[in-house]
Amino acid sequence: MAGTGKDVSSETLGEAGTPLFIVRLACNDPMPKHELILLKNMMQPGYTGSLADYEKTGGYQALRNTLGKLAPADVTAIVRKSGLRGRGGAGFPTGVKWGFLPKDYQGPRYLCCNADESEPGTFKDRQLMERDPHQVLEGIVLACYAIGSETAYIYIRGEMVLGSKILEHAIGEARAAGYIGKNVLGSGINVDVWVHRGAGAYICGEETALLESLEGKRGLPRIKPPFPATHGLYNKPTVVNNVETLANLPHIITRGPEWFAAIGSPPKSTGTRVFCVSGHVKRPGNYEVPMGMTVRELVYEYAGGMRSDKPLKAFIPGGASAPFLTPAHLDVKLDFEHVAAAGSMLGSGGVTVMEEGTSMVWAALRLMEFFYHESCGKCSPCREGSSWLVQTMRRIFAKRGRMEDLETLLDLCKNIAGRTVCAFGDAEVAPIQSTLKHWRHEYVDLINEAEAANLIRPEPVARR
Amino acid sequence: MTTPTAQMVRIMIDGMTVNVPKGTLVIEAARRVGVMIPHFCYHPKLKPDANCRMCLVEIEKVPKLQTACSTPVDEGMNVRTATTVVNDAHKSVLEFILANHPLDCPVCDQGGKCDLQDFSHQYTATSRFTETKRVFQKEYFSPLIETQMNRCVQCLRCVRYCDEVMDVKALAPVGRGTMTEIKHFGFHPLDCEFCGGCVQICPVGAITSRLSMYEYRPWMLKRAETICGYCGDGCQMTVQTKGQELIEVNSAHGAGRNNGDLCARGFFGFHAASHPQRLTHPLIRRHGALVQVTWEEALEYVADRVNEIKAAHGGPSFGGLISGRCTNEELYLFQKFLRMAIGTNHIDSSARYGHVNGLQAMQLVQGTHRWTVTFEDILDADVLILVGTNITETNPITGLKVKEAVKKRQATLITIESLEPVVDTMSNIANLSHHHFRIPTSDTHHAIVGLVKAVLEQNLTQPDLAQRHPTYVNAMTSALQQISWQDLQAATGIEPDAFVRAAKVAAGARRVVIMAGQLLLRSEQGYSGCLTLLDLLLLTGKLDAPGCGFAPLAEENNDQGAIEMGTVTELLPGAQPITNDTERERIAKQWKGELPTDKGASLIEMLERARVGSLKAMFIVGENPVGSLPAVIHAEASLRNLDLLVCQELFLTETAALAHVVLPAASSLEKHGTFTNTEGHVQAVRPAIEPVGDSRPDWEIFSALSILLNSPMEYAESKEILKEIRSLIPGYSSLGPTPLPPKVDHSAVDRYLTDGYQRDLASRYHPISRASRPDGTVRLELAQSLFHSGKLSTRSKGLLQVEGSGRLRISPSDAARFALSDGDRVRLSSTSGEMTTEVKIMERVPQGTAWFPSHFGQAAVQLFECAIDPITHVPSFRTATVSMMKVA
Repeated sequence: MAGTGKDVSSETLGEAGTPLFIVRLACNDPMPKHELILLKNMMQPGYTGSLADYEKTGGYQALRNTLGKLAPADVTAIVRKSGLRGRGGAGFPTGVKWGFLPKDYQGPRYLCCNADESEPGTFKDRQLMERDPHQVLEGIVLACYAIGSETAYIYIRGEMVLGSKILEHAIGEARAAGYIGKNVLGSGINVDVWVHRGAGAYICGEETALLESLEGKRGLPRIKPPFPATHGLYNKPTVVNNVETLANLPHIITRGPEWFAAIGSPPKSTGTRVFCVSGHVKRPGNYEVPMGMTVRELVYEYAGGMRSDKPLKAFIPGGASAPFLTPAHLDVKLDFEHVAAAGSMLGSGGVTVMEEGTSMVWAALRLMEFFYHESCGKCSPCREGSSWLVQTMRRIFAKRGRMEDLETLLDLCKNIAGRTVCAFGDAEVAPIQSTLKHWRHEYVDLINEAEAANLIRPEPVARR
Repeated sequence: MTTPTAQMVRIMIDGMTVNVPKGTLVIEAARRVGVMIPHFCYHPKLKPDANCRMCLVEIEKVPKLQTACSTPVDEGMNVRTATTVVNDAHKSVLEFILANHPLDCPVCDQGGKCDLQDFSHQYTATSRFTETKRVFQKEYFSPLIETQMNRCVQCLRCVRYCDEVMDVKALAPVGRGTMTEIKHFGFHPLDCEFCGGCVQICPVGAITSRLSMYEYRPWMLKRAETICGYCGDGCQMTVQTKGQELIEVNSAHGAGRNNGDLCARGFFGFHAASHPQRLTHPLIRRHGALVQVTWEEALEYVADRVNEIKAAHGGPSFGGLISGRCTNEELYLFQKFLRMAIGTNHIDSSARYGHVNGLQAMQLVQGTHRWTVTFEDILDADVLILVGTNITETNPITGLKVKEAVKKRQATLITIESLEPVVDTMSNIANLSHHHFRIPTSDTHHAIVGLVKAVLEQNLTQPDLAQRHPTYVNAMTSALQQISWQDLQAATGIEPDAFVRAAKVAAGARRVVIMAGQLLLRSEQGYSGCLTLLDLLLLTGKLDAPGCGFAPLAEENNDQGAIEMGTVTELLPGAQPITNDTERERIAKQWKGELPTDKGASLIEMLERARVGSLKAMFIVGENPVGSLPAVIHAEASLRNLDLLVCQELFLTETAALAHVVLPAASSLEKHGTFTNTEGHVQAVRPAIEPVGDSRPDWEIFSALSILLNSPMEYAESKEILKEIRSLIPGYSSLGPTPLPPKVDHSAVDRYLTDGYQRDLASRYHPISRASRPDGTVRLELAQSLFHSGKLSTRSKGLLQVEGSGRLRISPSDAARFALSDGDRVRLSSTSGEMTTEVKIMERVPQGTAWFPSHFGQAAVQLFECAIDPITHVPSFRTATVSMMKVA
C-alpha cells in the first residue's frame, strides 16, 4: 500500500519454495525525502519479510545486544529517554506506561500487542505486520524483556487473516531460530508469543475491552481504575502497546534514545509517524515522516496532491475519532501538541482528506453510522445516544430535518462526551461537533431546503 | 467488604461529613447520610459495572463527573450530588434511557415499583426523542420467567447476579449497542435454577414472573414477612396477597439470613397452599369411607376413642409422629400433649430421617445440639469442607454463602461429593472446588477416613492433643493403621496424595467449617460419618477454635426445632436426654404433672409395635410414612393394624387415606409461629392468608383435644406457647434476632476424648471390604431436586412447570452403555420390587449411578433396602443396587 506504484514482484514466505503467502510489494516509489525507519526494510526491492531477509538488514541485533547486556530497567529507561509515545491513539509515553507495573509483583505479567487496528482511515499496523513481521516481533520480545513478561499476545483484528497467518509463520521462524520460546538466545529469558484473532468489534481495540475479549468474555471496556498496569489480563499486571509503538523499539535500542529523540518535533513528539493518507488524494497510502511535518506537505508532496485538483475542503488528522479540520489548518504541524491545539488529535495517524464538493453532513453521517454500528452498548449515553444521533443525522441528510435538531444534536453530543466508561463516547461525537462547528451552513441549507419544499416530517412530540 | 480494623476516612457529601471505612464506594457512603444517588446498574451484591451512568456526581478537584457506584472514597473527598451540573447530567442520562423505552407502564407488572418510573417522576424527565424506537421481537422465554426486552435498560444486573451470586451463568447480553438484549443460551426455553434472582434484581419491568403476570398493581397487595417452609436454610420472604389469593413472593435485599436471595422453591413454590385439593373439612371413617363432619364431631370422636383405648391399654399404647415442617410451638405442644395428656413417650418426627445423626454426633463430641458456627463463619472461612451435600439442590441459600466465600473471599473448598464437575444448567459446587473428591455417596465415609488418616500420618494433629489424651490419639492411630492406602484407593479411586494435600490445607487453615449434607446424614454411615468429621476437627485442633465448627445441614425447615422442642423420643424440650433425671423433674414440675417413665420408641419401632399389635393408636401430623418409607418396613400394614389413626394433614396423603380421622391443618402461610433454621436462628412465621376452608393450625387442634381429654393446655395464641417454651428452655429467652451460637462444651469434649470415642471406634474405622456391582446394574440413589422439597412442593403449579415428574437422572456413559437417550423408558428392578420410569441424561451424574428425585420417589422408594442405625435409630433407605433395562 505504500504509494500507488506498480506492484512488480511476487515473493513467497514459504519454506523450500512452497508458496505460502503471496505478498504484494510496491518498490518503485520515489525515494522519500526523509530517512525511513519502520518502512525502510519493506521498501527495499525484493524484501520478503522473512527471517533471513530481516536478519540481513540487521534484524534481531537489538535483541542480541540487549539480552544479558542491558538490565530490563535500562531498556525501560532508554525507551523513556527516547520520548517514544504510543502510536495507537492516546499518545501515552511508552516508557512511563511500563514504569507503572508493580516492581515487586511475583506472579505472571503480560504484554498485549494491540493489532486490532479498526479505526476508519487507519491501515499502518496492517502493513507493518504483513510486510515486516519480524520487526514487530523483535519489538515484542524487547518489550517483554523490559517488563518481565514471559507471555505476549498479539490481538489482531479478525479481518486481517493474511496478517495473522504471516505473524504465525514469522513466530514459527523466530521460535526455530531461538528468538522466541524458552531460553531466548541462551539468556535464560522465556518469551512466548501468541496470535489471537478478534471477532470483528471495533471496541476491542480499546485496551480494556481487548483484555476482556482476550479472556474469552464479551469485549466491553472495563472501569478504570484499576488500570491494566496493575489489574490487566487475568487480573495480572499487563502492558498493552500498539504495533507501531513496538516496531520502533529495535531501532531505539540499536541507535540510541538520543538519535530517536532528535527526530520529529522534540521534546514531546519524537520519532517518525506512519501516516495513513486516504481520501481524495492522488496517491493514498502509508507515508512515514518525522512528526511535526505539516499537513500541506504530507498531502501535496507525499500523497501527490488532490485527486482532481479541486481544493481541499476538510481533513481528519488522526482517524475517525478525531474532529475534522479545515484548510485553515493545513499548516498545522502533525504532532501531538499542535494538532490538539488546533482542536483535533493526532490519534492513530489516519489522515482522511476531502475535496471541495464533499457534503460535510454526509461525511459526518457516514462516520456516525460507523459509531452507531460499533457502540458496544455498555453505557447508556453512548448506546442510546448513538442511535439517536444517527437517526437525526439520517433525517437531516434526507432533507427531513428541523432547525431545532441542530441544538438537540449539540446537546446530545455534550451529554455523551465524557460521560462514558471509555473514550468511545468522546470519539463518536467528534464528527458531528466539528462539522457543525465549521460547516453549520451545510446543515442549515439542507434544513432550509426541507422547509421550503414543505417535506413531510414528524411533528415534534413532547414525551414524558 | 469492610472489616472492623479497616482504616476510616472522612469525606464530605453535600456538605455533610461522614466517616466511612476506606474503600467504601461513594454511593454507599452517601446512603449513610441519607443521600440517595439514583442508579440502575449498581447493586450492593454485585461488583460495580458503572454502565448506566445514572449515578454521576461531582467530586472536587476531579475534572469530569464520576460514577458514585464505582468510585471508592478517599480521605478529604468532597462530593456534590445536587448541583445543577449533576442534576443536568442525571436528567440527560435519563433522557437517553427513556429514548428507546416503550413507555408501556399501564401494562407493565413493574409499574408502581419501578426505578425508571420513580426517577422519571423525580426528575420530571421529558425526552426530545422523536425518532423511531428500537423494537425487539417478542420471544417465549421460559415457563416461569417473562422477558419484555423493549423495557430493558441494559444494566446487566440480571446477568451479573446470575454469574456472580448464583454461579449459574444462564443469562447473557446478546447483540451490540442499542440492539443489546438479554437472552439465555440455546434455542430452547430458559433452563436454569429458576431462583427468580433476575426477576427480583431487575430495576424495570424487563424480567417479570409469569406466575403473577398482569394480576396486580403493587399497592393492591398485602404483605406478610415470613419464613420459607421448604428447607432448613430458613429464608425470610415477603408473601404478597390479594385477599385470599397468593400473588407473589419476594425477599428484600438484606432481609433475613438469606440476605434477600431465594431459590426456585421459595420464589416460585408458594402455590402449594392454595392447591384445589387442600383438605378443608374434618373427615371421619364411617363404614370404610371418609366422610365430612364438623370439628366438634371429629374432636369428640377422637377424644372418646382415646379415652377408650387409654383405659384398655394405657398411655404407652399410643404413638405420635410429626413433621419437621410444623412450627416450634406445634412441635412443643405435640410432645407435651403426648407426654402429659396421653402419657406416652413414643414420639418421633421427621428429624429422625437424618438430622438426628448429626445432632447425636454433636452432642456426643462437643456437647451442643446446635452449630457452633453461623452463616457468617461460612463466609469468613478459610477452608470449607462439604461432605455429601449437593448443596445447590438441597440447601441452595447456604450454598450461596459457600459460593460467596469461595468466589469473593478466596476460601479454599474441599468437597466430598458424588457430583461430576461439569458445567450444565445449574450451578455445580464441584466446579468451584479446589480439592474435589468425586466419590459415590455410599463410599463417602471412606473419603472422610482418608482425610483423618492423612492428618494422623502427616503429623498434622494439634501438638498437645497427644500429650493430653494419648489414649485417644493412639487408639485412632492404630485403628487407622489397619486401613491401608491401597484399600482406600481401591474403594475411592483417589490417590493418597490427594488426601494428603487436602488434609494439609485443612490443618493449616485458621478457620475451617465442615458441612455435612443429606447424602451423608441420611446414609447408613450418617452417624459414624459425622463422628469421623468431628474427629477430624478434634485432631487438627479446630473443634473449639474461633470460626471453626461442624455444620450438619437440616433438610426440613424445622428439623432443628423438632430436636430442640423434644419431639424425638430420646429428648426432652431443650434437647436434654430423657434419661437426665433432674431435667425430667424440672420439666414435670413446670408442667404440673408426671412424665411417662417408659423408654420411648422411635418411628421404626413404633411401626413394628403397631404391626405386632402392642401399639394401638397413633397421631400423625404432616407425615406420610406409607409414602416415604420403603416396602420392607411394611408401614401400610402396620398402620392398618391400629385401632385409631388420627392424621392432621393439608392433603389426603397415602397415610391419611388409611386414617380413622383426618383433621385439616393450616399451612405455614396461614399461621403464626416460629421456625428454627439449620444454624439455630428462631424466626417468626406470620400468616399471609386466612386458613383455607375450615383448616386450623395444628397447635389449636392439640389444644382442643387436650381440653376434651381433661388435661387442658389452653393458649389464646401461639405466642403464649412460645412464652412457655422460653420459660422452660434455658437460654431460649435470650434469643434475639442474631443469637450467638453455642460454645463447645469442654467437659463433653473431655468425656469424649477419655472414653466416649470408644463406643463405636471399631465400627467407624474398619478395614474396607469392597463389594462389586454386577454387570447390567446401576446404583440407584434418591436425590433431592432443587425444584422440590418434600411432597408439598409437588402441589405447587410453578415448580411443576419446571419439573413436573420424576425422571431418572443417568450419566452419559451409562446412557451409552444401556443404549438410552433422553426420554427413553427403563425398568428398574431389585429383589424388593420394580418400577418403570423415564430417563434424563445429566452430565453431573457419576458413571454407574442413577439418581431419582425423592419427592417423586413413591415407586422408587419401594426398591430400597432399609438399614437402621443401632445408636441413633435413623432408618436409611437411600441407595439400592438395581438392574436397569430399556423398555419400549
